[in-house]
Amino acid sequence: MIDIAGILAENILYIVMVTLGGMLISWSVHFVPVGGAPAAMAQATGIGTGTVQLAAGAGLTGLVTAGAVMNVSDSFALVVASGAVGAMIMIAVTMIVGTLVYVYGVGVPPASAKVDYDPITKDRQDLYVSQGTEGHGLPTVSYVSGVIGGALGGIGGATIYYSLMNTSTGLSQSDLVALASIFAVGIFFVNAVIPSYNIGGTIEGFHDPKFKKWPKAVFASFVATLMCAFVGVLAIGGL
Amino acid sequence: MSAGGAGGEATGGIPQNKLIAVGVLGGLIAAYAGHFLVQAAGPAFAFIGALGAICAIVWGCAAVRRVASYGLGTGVPSIGMMALGMGVVASLFGLAVGGIAGPIVAFITASIIGLVIGALANKVLGMGIPIMEQSMTEIAGAGALTIIGLSVAMTGTFMFDAVLETVVATGYIAVIFIAGGMAILHPFNANLGPDEQQDRTLTTGVEKAAIAMVVAGIVATVSEDASAIPTIMIGLALWYVAFRKYVELVNRDAYKVIGTGLLPTEEELE
Repeated sequence: MIDIAGILAENILYIVMVTLGGMLISWSVHFVPVGGAPAAMAQATGIGTGTVQLAAGAGLTGLVTAGAVMNVSDSFALVVASGAVGAMIMIAVTMIVGTLVYVYGVGVPPASAKVDYDPITKDRQDLYVSQGTEGHGLPTVSYVSGVIGGALGGIGGATIYYSLMNTSTGLSQSDLVALASIFAVGIFFVNAVIPSYNIGGTIEGFHDPKFKKWPKAVFASFVATLMCAFVGVLAIGGL
Repeated sequence: MSAGGAGGEATGGIPQNKLIAVGVLGGLIAAYAGHFLVQAAGPAFAFIGALGAICAIVWGCAAVRRVASYGLGTGVPSIGMMALGMGVVASLFGLAVGGIAGPIVAFITASIIGLVIGALANKVLGMGIPIMEQSMTEIAGAGALTIIGLSVAMTGTFMFDAVLETVVATGYIAVIFIAGGMAILHPFNANLGPDEQQDRTLTTGVEKAAIAMVVAGIVATVSEDASAIPTIMIGLALWYVAFRKYVELVNRDAYKVIGTGLLPTEEELE
């Protein structure tokens, strides 16, 4: 039997960090302009796919870049920064290509239906929203919001990975990398889905009224990630 | 909204309690049977683990069908990915600390995580789906048993050292994650709508699970303790039977099935 109390006492800091990472991921999803199926038909503002796919795409890229830096450096700041940058690049590229498709392929101007004026550029929005739609494309504010979401998600994912990698264990390095990554991916998915239930599938970014609901999702993620953190740290620490 | 369901509970077909029994008992018994038969009679019996994964996947599909019928507000895929997210955390924990009791520890851990997340979804996020707690518990348990079953098919055992070496360290766990998740989320996602029938959805589940079984068989070619050929052959046979059955059910449920013929050639169009 494993020494549960001993492992927990030794790694309490990492449990806290994993939990914080999960909460950051949960918060980050609220920034990402998720349009879901309506956006795929250019009938809602945002990227035309679900939260999970977007968060997973950006978050896993962040995990890969964080893991790459982790091979050459032990600095927490560097690992987290590379995770953030990786996720930001991924989500930014997704949104750029999406915008190209919306503007030149579908033929709609990027417009938000939630605000009359873009809070960043002050451009008029409501005139450009086609009748019967909830906006379309990715206006500047959604784009900026998405990049912020990518950064937060990348920081969260990299924090989880870093914490699990530093948990005291008897595993060999290659096994530890594999186990820490798959635990990080599992925790990432759980924390990407919880906020997507909170926002009910679609959100435009931080200017969307639904954004104000984030404390609920972050609290739910706090409880859920705390459990996953105990389980993950116990599993890795016990080996 | 990208909500899938009609806003009410899915009805008809096999009662959920029977499917729970099939999933839990089938999944656990097959994991242990696979493990012990491989030790006693040789690696050819590793395929039994995948049969357990099929039971768990069918149970997971039925649970997804019930809960997603209420309309999650987001796509059905989210819940399948969440199932495997919870399942992978719980199953690796269970196998790591549980030893011979690994699958049971994993299953209980997954159920607890699922129950808490289901309660959070209703109490904190206010989703208001009456069966959310039960369904999340079921989905997490099904996810964990799927991962364990496919791991047994790949390695011939659920002892953690072998699983870590053959499945996790090599990255095949990612294959299990996506193949298993796809098998749980895809059937209802593909069949939802006013004419959705439980038998058709679950048949799609068996068909997807058979594909996961074939993939597990291919991975087993690199493992010494699990034979690839029986797993692949049985998987292909199951896939064929399930796919034929699915086509039959689609024909049954469709208003009319007509052949449109081949596309006209250029001369015929003139």
